[in-house]
Amino acid sequence: MFATNTQDTAKQLLETVGLSTAEVPAKLAALAAMDARYLKDLKINVTNALEVATLSKKEANLLGLAVAVNEKLPALQQGFEQLAVATGATEKEIAEVVSCTSLMNANNVFYRFRHFVGKEFYNTAPAGIRMSIMANPVIGKEFFELVSLVVSALNGCEMCVTSHEAAVLQHGSEPQRILDAVRLGAVVKSLGVLL
Amino acid sequence: MKNAVLSVGAQFPGFAKKAVVSIEKGKEFYEISSEEIKGSGKWMVMFWWPKDFTFVCPTEIAEFNKHYQDFADRDAILIGASTDSEFVHLAWRKDHEDLRGLQFPMLADTSKSLADELGILQSDEKIAYRATFVVDPQGIVRWTSVYDLSVGRNVKEVIRVLDALQTDELCPCNWQKGEATLQA
Repeated sequence: MFATNTQDTAKQLLETVGLSTAEVPAKLAALAAMDARYLKDLKINVTNALEVATLSKKEANLLGLAVAVNEKLPALQQGFEQLAVATGATEKEIAEVVSCTSLMNANNVFYRFRHFVGKEFYNTAPAGIRMSIMANPVIGKEFFELVSLVVSALNGCEMCVTSHEAAVLQHGSEPQRILDAVRLGAVVKSLGVLL
Repeated sequence: MKNAVLSVGAQFPGFAKKAVVSIEKGKEFYEISSEEIKGSGKWMVMFWWPKDFTFVCPTEIAEFNKHYQDFADRDAILIGASTDSEFVHLAWRKDHEDLRGLQFPMLADTSKSLADELGILQSDEKIAYRATFVVDPQGIVRWTSVYDLSVGRNVKEVIRVLDALQTDELCPCNWQKGEATLQA
């Protein structure tokens, strides 16, 4: 009467991030085939991370999009793009999140190098990387900083993480929103490695 | 009148009751026991409503049903209950459009013995308040909520509570210096 059934968990998981359920990716399918308990944890982690009080549905989907771009997952990117549009994101906003993620990939490498080495010359010479999109973002400065923070956390640049975390707080946001955004990034990445 | 609702830390009472599990002929009834639930090693979420065939109830019951999969994902057995008989449950399920597709059993506490032991019987009519119990795999009550007859419940809150009760941080990254090693 009360037996466990996880056969559909993989498909439900794909649906929550806007992915087609026609073909279940091999790693997910392998876990589903052996009724892995982790699959349920992952589904709960993903649905809970995307449904938090501190992020609107649109913001959650745009953050998911940034993770998909950063992790180079085209299908997941498409899924989150569709979800973002369905929850009110414009094409300009989507393009900006993609751009921001790309820029952070430059900055994360560059500033991490500065931070690692810590020599005066590197720290004082001009960066020489154009960042004009930071000036007047259509997604708003606070959310631009939040996306930058999540991507930096994924890419492991300490200096970028601490600076963008401080910047989000300066815009008046609550620490809980930052924590929820970073958790979303972490959890979507954990799904990404199985796609 | 003083009533004492069974609360956090108490052993959930043993029971064996008829339940409606289907509207298909010949498969309508099943006897659910606390023993079988304990044997499954799962959590149990039991929610009560006052009377079948009333207005607020189907909305709330349909809402629980919508989240049936969320409870299953959390290894929790969802059971709905009232003091109506199994035949009334069945008639209601057949009668109401929103209830035909229910995935969880409707427990019939016709003798009112379980509702009485739980301390959730309203004194005048002897019907159950809108009580919800979350019970862990050891049969211990870990959460109780009791709403008055006219107040509907928030199912997402029940799921949030279940998550909070089940999510222990096991990651060693969370250790503080001097703590004992991790026991899982």
